[in-house]
Amino acid sequence: MLKKAYDWIDERLNVTPLWRDMADHEVPAHVNPAVKMSAFVYCFGGLTFLVITTQILSGMFLAMYYTPDITNAWYSVKYITDEVLLGNVVRGMHFWGASLVIVMMFLHMLRVFFTGAYKAPRELNWVVGVLIFFVVLAFGFTGYLLPWDQKAYWATAVGSQIAGSIPWVGPYIQTLLLGSHTVGALTLTRFFAIHVFFLPAALLVLLALHFIMIRSQHIAGPL
Amino acid sequence: MAGGERIPGTPRYRHHHLKNPGTEPFFPNFLLKEWIVGSVFLLSFMLWIVFNPVDLGDKANPDDTSFIPVPDWYFLFLYQILKYYPGSDIVVGTVLVPMVASLLLLFAPWLDTSKARHPYKRPLATGAMVLTTLLTIWLTNEAAVQHQAEVDAASGKASAGLPALPKISASQIHLVDTNMPGYKLFEQTCANCHGKSGEGGMGPPIYAIGKYWDATKLKQFVNNPSGGMPKNGTLSSDADVQKVVDWLSKQKG
Repeated sequence: MLKKAYDWIDERLNVTPLWRDMADHEVPAHVNPAVKMSAFVYCFGGLTFLVITTQILSGMFLAMYYTPDITNAWYSVKYITDEVLLGNVVRGMHFWGASLVIVMMFLHMLRVFFTGAYKAPRELNWVVGVLIFFVVLAFGFTGYLLPWDQKAYWATAVGSQIAGSIPWVGPYIQTLLLGSHTVGALTLTRFFAIHVFFLPAALLVLLALHFIMIRSQHIAGPL
Repeated sequence: MAGGERIPGTPRYRHHHLKNPGTEPFFPNFLLKEWIVGSVFLLSFMLWIVFNPVDLGDKANPDDTSFIPVPDWYFLFLYQILKYYPGSDIVVGTVLVPMVASLLLLFAPWLDTSKARHPYKRPLATGAMVLTTLLTIWLTNEAAVQHQAEVDAASGKASAGLPALPKISASQIHLVDTNMPGYKLFEQTCANCHGKSGEGGMGPPIYAIGKYWDATKLKQFVNNPSGGMPKNGTLSSDADVQKVVDWLSKQKG
């Protein structure tokens, strides 16, 4: 029955080559911690992706209760923390996960750098990886404002002032970020939209490129 | 692990008997191990979350300018760089350093073009990255320490580096050697903040500070205090400071 359903789909979509390629590709010994323990350094990329997945999931659940306007944002976060079933756990996942992504991504980057894995023919994948790093930092900057507490407000106020101090383009960047001349209602909706729509879209595209390139270029050989 | 279980009578599994020793298919062999690593990782992560609940600060108040702003920890190194370029030099910290660093990182594959991949065989790239990493960690730590000192100073706590004594009532404190000249001076000046018996007031309690710090260490602190304490504790001469710390170092609680 299951076989029949699979064949029916395969006949129409030809999925077998796709998933056989994914399943059957050989994982070399030098990246397998089961063969050599020191190969655990090759885990950081996968763990970064795992944390990003938990970030997406916890973020989707937080969005069910979060209200992106300046009168209600703080109360909605308080409600999530104090009232919602497991709300503090989901918020904790999203809060600590944000730091964990940075840590894991940094370790992954150091591994790639020190093993020289960014060298030809893998230059483009390094570039995409650095872009992912910038996108994640932007996630951190925009997400920090959303709880709308004192810490969030003043960090963004100072951050936008710093951006505004850049010669020539500074004031334009500041207006683009804040939506007005000071941190307020427009800033919060803007940061929310960037945090939950613009950046995830950019991140998913970059991650897809990152993974497709690993498959087509393979993992760099042993040192 | 890589070999699986032995069936009696079959030869022992050896990696080097294979054509590509140690390689295995991604699915299901490798993914299963990755999944185990992921589970352990997720479990530790969940335990961390349960034991470190996130608190929510007071609601944002644009009128309260006394709040000391600080970015999230992973931006602290950038924040710290800004402090080293005050005034019109700020552009070095806001544009020049981040821009150059980002471009170097982005174009690393075209800057380090040798065929060699081992870190020891390309000392320039390895050295630069090690230095940058250490510098980033140091800047992050420096920013965190300075922010903590600022917060402590604002809340009037002279806790920065000073051993913390439990707050007890003045009647429970037994000061010794009150005939020394230092005690008179203490009563006249230091007591204004630290209390008549050193029980603490605006300043922290110091009634048994001699248990932790000797006269030399105390004098160093009083000459160069932190956490909002005025220099020399407003004593007029260094000789007076010496007298006070000589007496204070005898207070061991």
